[in-house]
Amino acid sequence: MKIVAALIVILALVIGIVPQFTDCQSQGRAIALQNGKTVPMKCHWTAISEIAMAVPLVGLGAVTAVSKRKESRRIVAGFGSLLGVFVILLPNTLIGVCASSDMLCNSVMKPTLTLAGILVIGLSLVGLVISERKAEPTA
Amino acid sequence: MIVSLQDVTKVYTISQENIVTAVRGVSLEVGRGEFVIITGRSGSGKTTLLNLAAGLARPTSGLVLLEGVDLWSLSDRQQSLLRNRKLGFVFQFPSLLPSLTTLENVGLPTIFGTNHRGQSVNDRAAELLDLVGLSDKLAAYPRQLSAGQQQRVVIARSLISQPQVLLADEPTSNLDEQTEKEIMSLFKDIHAATGVTILLVTHTSQLVSYGTRAIQMANGVVVKG
Amino acid sequence: MNLIRLATKNIAGSAFRSGVVFLCALVVAGLSLSTVLLIRGAQESLRLALERLGADVVVVPEGESSRVETALLMGKPTTAWMPQENVSKIANIPGVAVASPQLYLASLANASCCSASELFMVAFDPKTDFTIEPWLKRKLGHELRLGEAVGGHLVFVPEGEENIKLYGYFISLKGNLEPTGMGLDQTLFLTFDTAQDVARISRTRAERPLEIPANSISAVMVKMKPGADAHTAALDIIQKVPNVTPIESPELFQAYRKQITGLLRGMLAVLGITLVLSLVLISLIFSMAANERRREIGVLRALGATRVAILQSLLSEAAILALGGGAVGIVLGALTTFLFRDLIVRSLEMPFLFPSLPSLLTLVGAGLIVALAGVTLAALLPAFRISLQEPAIAMRE
Repeated sequence: MKIVAALIVILALVIGIVPQFTDCQSQGRAIALQNGKTVPMKCHWTAISEIAMAVPLVGLGAVTAVSKRKESRRIVAGFGSLLGVFVILLPNTLIGVCASSDMLCNSVMKPTLTLAGILVIGLSLVGLVISERKAEPTA
Repeated sequence: MIVSLQDVTKVYTISQENIVTAVRGVSLEVGRGEFVIITGRSGSGKTTLLNLAAGLARPTSGLVLLEGVDLWSLSDRQQSLLRNRKLGFVFQFPSLLPSLTTLENVGLPTIFGTNHRGQSVNDRAAELLDLVGLSDKLAAYPRQLSAGQQQRVVIARSLISQPQVLLADEPTSNLDEQTEKEIMSLFKDIHAATGVTILLVTHTSQLVSYGTRAIQMANGVVVKG
Repeated sequence: MNLIRLATKNIAGSAFRSGVVFLCALVVAGLSLSTVLLIRGAQESLRLALERLGADVVVVPEGESSRVETALLMGKPTTAWMPQENVSKIANIPGVAVASPQLYLASLANASCCSASELFMVAFDPKTDFTIEPWLKRKLGHELRLGEAVGGHLVFVPEGEENIKLYGYFISLKGNLEPTGMGLDQTLFLTFDTAQDVARISRTRAERPLEIPANSISAVMVKMKPGADAHTAALDIIQKVPNVTPIESPELFQAYRKQITGLLRGMLAVLGITLVLSLVLISLIFSMAANERRREIGVLRALGATRVAILQSLLSEAAILALGGGAVGIVLGALTTFLFRDLIVRSLEMPFLFPSLPSLLTLVGAGLIVALAGVTLAALLPAFRISLQEPAIAMRE
């Protein structure tokens, strides 16, 4: 169980940190407006939003490691899966990234987040199965 | 005669220089329903004798018969089935599988052969655990039991297939005196209740009073009995 | 309780060992699948691209063959020029059915007049073309009109806009071709007329004008008559048309094929080493486990287990771990390859097309079999040895 928790924390760190270095803002690209000002591209907003997913995931990982009650583990697993879903949706549909496949946000950030989200969901479910099994009665 | 050893010798070749003759030309006849206690010092060959009788070790020479059948004329499959159905074992070392519960451990032999006419394995296992006084430990794992309790479970397991012969190799050597007495009394009770033939090996000569016959071994031969 | 349940209980009972075997199976399966996907993907991509080009011979200006191949392969634009009269010379070569000229152009890099930077543009002659025309007939039902173009799979209109702006000229994207996994996916196809129109407008509206030298073409796509020999025609072309290089279809992308072969050989070597190491590790682990459980196995034999039953139990453990680890590894391998396919293409500079679902499922099945066979084989020798041991000896201290 501790391994599952550790992996979730690692994934949370990936989800929060990787986008900060792979969005177009970090590559020095932004949208230039008519009045000369620059605004960040949407991949930047995706990166910021992912931090909001990563922080609670770290907390969930910690809770997974220490929690012993079946009920709290179930809640944690459910919440983890939900966060995983949002991690995937943010770069793919909710906000999105740049369309061109030679942008780093498209070729690296999006697939990394998608894979991390899938793994978070998978690990949450594994954690749930393990905790259900462990709760079998012993003499 | 239920168990018959005829001029049996067992030689272990550990290396070119180290050849051990554990049992030399021993002949032994055990009648049905006997409770035979085999004593001897460490290295006297008593455990090897037991293993030979059970078909767990192949004799270098001589014959081993179980209910008249030459054990070593059988195929591995036939021999295994015979052991499964006719023999029960209690070992000196902890022999329960650590990943199985008490109930599962008692029922373990049944996965290698069919033994019961009608009654479910779990029911019979529970019955046996009740017989040995552990009906409240069905779901426990071996690590949750004391040494004495584990040995009781092993005894229950040895009876699951209603064997003809029970073979016990120093079953009490790792137990304290009080527990040893309890286990030996259990053997005696089982013998009285079921009439099963018992071959029990021990280095404690005081225990011979529990049996109906005593045999003493030294240096690979029978010196008394 | 049966042998399989016993196997699963044993697996759960030695979590660390089981975990290591599981991980080995995972790595072996995942790496195998990814490697095979890359190899198959590259081969498939090349095949589709050649099919798409449809040409038996591609004639390019002398010395330009590798640049043209790069353009077609990776979508990196290039320009190359030769006299237009070459078209009729080539068309007159015996065995040639059609000779269709093409112009190779590129949009400007990071210019405000071009909404797509460094886009490779191929202009074709609708009267003779046999590459795009069949698709146009099938999908659009009509020819491309002035100002219209068709793009490879990855060409798109920038968000929020209706057309692609090239050199200040608005091009209407009428559709996208099926993916090939090659540079053709990032290529824009337009007619000669539209290209000339763009060049005309670019003189006033673009940062730099689009230059199309008069009476010049970049390449000629040649289709042979049925039964005619492309090689003979290629030799004829060398003789009769000066300063050109004919590239026969099987020779196309030869430089890249060599590069890819080299790369893929490297991948296979890595895979081979990983496989061997993993199997050795698994074999060692099972040897260790069999040794540690010597006594337990002796007890099982005493309880009536045959040698075969012992073997079955140990191999079941191996098989369960192999299938579990293998399945997870395959899913991860396929997922990672699929999600990062753009990055793979870019960093390895090789064409790649992710296989269709039926093809993928076949590979997945094969991968599972490989994982199962490998792990079980690795466990076979230690399991066999321990099953043969005399129970009395196995149970000794």
